[in-house]
Parts: sequence; structure tokens; C-alpha cells
Amino acid sequence: MAKSTPRVKFPKSVEANTPFTVRTKITHPMHTGLRRDRDGKPIPRWIVNSFTVRFNGEEALSVALEPAVSSDPYIRFELSLPESGLLEFEWRDDDGSIYSLSREVAVK
Amino acid sequence: MAPTRRDVMRLGGFAAAAAMLPAGAAADTNGVAGAIAAFTKGARALEAGVSLDVPEIADNGGAVPVRVAAEGARHIALFADANPNPGVAVFSFGRLTPPEATIRIRLARSQNVIAVAEMADGTFRKASRQVSVTVGGCG
Repeated sequence: MAKSTPRVKFPKSVEANTPFTVRTKITHPMHTGLRRDRDGKPIPRWIVNSFTVRFNGEEALSVALEPAVSSDPYIRFELSLPESGLLEFEWRDDDGSIYSLSREVAVK
Repeated sequence: MAPTRRDVMRLGGFAAAAAMLPAGAAADTNGVAGAIAAFTKGARALEAGVSLDVPEIADNGGAVPVRVAAEGARHIALFADANPNPGVAVFSFGRLTPPEATIRIRLARSQNVIAVAEMADGTFRKASRQVSVTVGGCG
């Protein structure tokens, strides 16, 4: 199985308590469980079912995903940070894998 | 008892009436009403205070961008009323995230996208947009 690659983008310089845009994406087929392969066999459901963002351990955003989310799930949101700290992003896969990324953010 | 001609005509009349219902009028084919009621725990959602941006025409149903925002919301759930399953995604916002998000979703065919927001005071708001899909995006 191809490994999923998560990506996160946000501005290099962010100001305290000012919302900035965060763009996230993870490569994943997001099989709905409804399709069939070339031989007519059903392809089992296999999706990323949750996405969570934490800042210094505090949950900032969580998203529950259903098969109706496009492949390579793309989620964009706004974030405003009171201080510098650690941003953690976590995607949970149906197969039990957890994909994560973390970024130190220094606010001005 | 064999059906009489009158019975058959009556059945036909029902079928015709059902077929004439406009597409937007509560044609609950995938259980979306139940899914929304489960999210709101049966409470009514006021049709106000939720901004939902979806293209009117989506060429590719496999990736339709949806932006939703609702000032004062804690959770926002997205539904689609003619996909194989009604649920799409549920967002939960914290202290650090204004209640606004964009996600790309699959739409099997032309249908309504519905956003339901649970506000901080426990009430619910909603918005709905019709999307015409050129090429469907579900298996």
C-alpha cells in the first residue's frame, strides 16, 4: 500500500491573535467501499476518517471525514495563536495508521 | 383478490404524483433527514447564520470545493442529499479556530449540499445550496 504523505502550508510569519490560513492535504485514495475493481470485486472502504490539529496540546480543530470526502483530502481553515508554540497535525486512517506532522510556530 | 382496473389506475396516479415532486422538495432518498436529526438530536435548525459557498455548477463531482462558516458555531456538519450516504464531514472548532473551513467533497450527481451548525448556546442553524454536477464523483 502506498504510504500517505501529509502536507501543511501556512504563512512563514504570523502575528499573535491574528487569524491566518492553514492549508492541509494528505495523499490518500479514500476508497468509498462502493466501487468495484476490474474483475467486479468490491473494493473495501479505506479512508482517512479523522483529522486533528493541536496547539501546545490544546485541540484547535477536529474533523470527522466520511467517504464523501474527495481523494487526497484537502482541508483549509483559519487559526489564531496567542503565543509561540508547537502545532501538531494528525490524520487517522481506517487501517489504524496515524500520519502526523508538527511545526514550531514563532508568533510576532 | 385480483386488482380491479380502478385499483391499478389509483396506483398509477400515486406514482405519477411522486414523480412530479420537484427535486428539491424533501426527496429523502439517502436518509439525509434522519442523519441531520441525529446531529441536531431532533432539534429544529433555523435557516440563518450559516454561510455556505459551493459552486452552482461542478464539472467534476469528484472534487467539489465547499466553504462553510457560521459565527459562534462549535460544530458544523456537512450533508449531501443524493449521495449513497448522507454524511460528508463534521468540523469541531476550538478556542483558536474561527468557525470556518473549506474542504473538497464528492457528489455522485446534482443535489443539495446542506450545512448544519451547532452554536455555542446549543441551538442549531443551517444552510443549503443546490449543485449541478456534470460528471458524478462516487463509485
